[in-house]
Amino acid sequence: MRSVIIGNGVAGINAAEAVRSLDSEAEITIIAGESFPPYCRPMISMALEGTVSHDALAIRPPSFYDKLRIRALIGERAESIDLAKRAVITGGGTVVPFDKLLIATGADPRAARGERADLKNIFPMRTETHVKGMLDALKEVKHALVLGGGLVGFKAAHGLLARGIPVTMLIRSGYPLSMQVDRPAGEMILKELQARGLEVHVGVEVERFEGNGAVSGALLSDGSHRECQLVVVGKGVYPAVSFLPPEIEVDLGIVVDERLQTRVDGVYAAGDVAESFDVARQTRWVNAIWPVAAEQGRVAGMNMAGRPVSYRGSLSRNVIRIFGLDVMTAGLVNPPDEREYEVVSRIDPARKTYRKIVFRGDIPVGMVLVNDIEQGGVIMNMIHSRAALMGPRDRLLDRSFNVKQLML
Amino acid sequence: MKQVVVHPERCVGCMQCMPACAAAHSRSKTLFGAVMEKPLPRPRVHVGVGLYGEGFPNRCRHCDPAPCQMACLPGAIYHSPETGTVLINPDRCINCASCAMACPFGVIRYHQDYMAAPGKTVAVKCDNCVGRQADGLIPACVEACMARALTFEESDKALKRKTDEMARRVSLGAEDRAPVESPGFNLLNAFKRAQLAVEERTY
Repeated sequence: MRSVIIGNGVAGINAAEAVRSLDSEAEITIIAGESFPPYCRPMISMALEGTVSHDALAIRPPSFYDKLRIRALIGERAESIDLAKRAVITGGGTVVPFDKLLIATGADPRAARGERADLKNIFPMRTETHVKGMLDALKEVKHALVLGGGLVGFKAAHGLLARGIPVTMLIRSGYPLSMQVDRPAGEMILKELQARGLEVHVGVEVERFEGNGAVSGALLSDGSHRECQLVVVGKGVYPAVSFLPPEIEVDLGIVVDERLQTRVDGVYAAGDVAESFDVARQTRWVNAIWPVAAEQGRVAGMNMAGRPVSYRGSLSRNVIRIFGLDVMTAGLVNPPDEREYEVVSRIDPARKTYRKIVFRGDIPVGMVLVNDIEQGGVIMNMIHSRAALMGPRDRLLDRSFNVKQLML
Repeated sequence: MKQVVVHPERCVGCMQCMPACAAAHSRSKTLFGAVMEKPLPRPRVHVGVGLYGEGFPNRCRHCDPAPCQMACLPGAIYHSPETGTVLINPDRCINCASCAMACPFGVIRYHQDYMAAPGKTVAVKCDNCVGRQADGLIPACVEACMARALTFEESDKALKRKTDEMARRVSLGAEDRAPVESPGFNLLNAFKRAQLAVEERTY
């Protein structure tokens, strides 16, 4: 059985390991766009911060492919898929026939808008190569500009502030991480960052970057000007689907069923490129986060190896430590319709703790925890399993659970 | 292979498993010495806030496959098949808390530990007392538990015992004589719960 996997991110790697563990005879080929050994993408912000070394990013040794008898086409990209011939054609002209195909190409960062966004030292933060570039430029940086208040922009700002570099952040919503947290938590986070030297502007964009070869400043849409020798662009990602034939349905991402299979038989998708069912939203969604890619890769691999496994659905979730605050979020944090959803929350500004849980009936569907996060996984797993809470709701607002009282 | 088996119905919430666990994971290995150490040793088993409720010794289930292991970003969590234990390598750990987010049981904590590099906060959880087991001892929580809510036995044996207990209850009209594990504590806890309910009503 010829299994071909496009992408060596965590979805592709986990799929390859799942196939190999179930089928010792399968011919596995990985088309790996990035030449670095398989690494942990969320950790690149820690490399920027300086808390981990670049080598510590790798999550598999260089011998990984040989050990699992995987044929790895390193540094090659898939250029097209011939569904009739059932083969992938790479940019280098290699034809790779498949019986089962996994598209785990991930998502690509959106480029900065504004004139002269081609200047040097304007980076997205998606790959270890981007962070390497930032670290090389770092000694000349007196002031940094971060575009976007989502997870990428936010982690970039945090890393740069930790290095003592003042940061100006331009965000669209009134508080950072607006896709992950609600207003009370967002404002706590904003205060914490501002206390550490972050300057935030809402509703302002970059009109034009300036510099001679490398960026040295930016003209903003409110007419003001900022000096900056480094710009990090965290303006979102879009799934890498441009090379796909039309038979593979794409909406927000590649549409897959509960076996992670696309509309085309034997062709699967997993990770940031895939659109699956979201358990909290109860609709199809793309949750482009590490744990979702990891679990989808594994399930896709099992199905490719002939083991019919149903994926229970994805769940957005995140945990982040920001200086004096720990924040954990999951699911539907800002419910669209107050009538169908019930919210319980508790805030303690003195202790800097906040906890909010969103219920739909007896089932928790979303949570935000600021500090006291150690047992957040209990609630998160209830959300993911759609487990109804049998006891009083405000028990979940306590820092620690008497498990018996929760009747789990 | 023996495992720690939890019998929640027997737990009276005395919490002795906690200081025993912490002391077993200290440098001095005694409670008296442990309380003087820096960093302060902490338990890996958690009875939870058991105020006026029954206790529950919440410890790592050493799942296979383990959600914490699958969630771990730097690959610091690994499985030791010889002892059926999921372990955390404190040198690889980056304190990101992805494991806490993944754990359905909420048994992971973050603090300094003498086994980790000095000053480094790392993820810490039950390690099945593999060090003690290697010395021929049983896990510290089991040794401390006087109610026999924590036992160290082959899981087959424990399951067989439970099956026999269930068979006894089902037969001979045993509903009337449903065994109460600790009637004294049940009564005490009921009294405290009633007291709390009355207090809440007063407000």
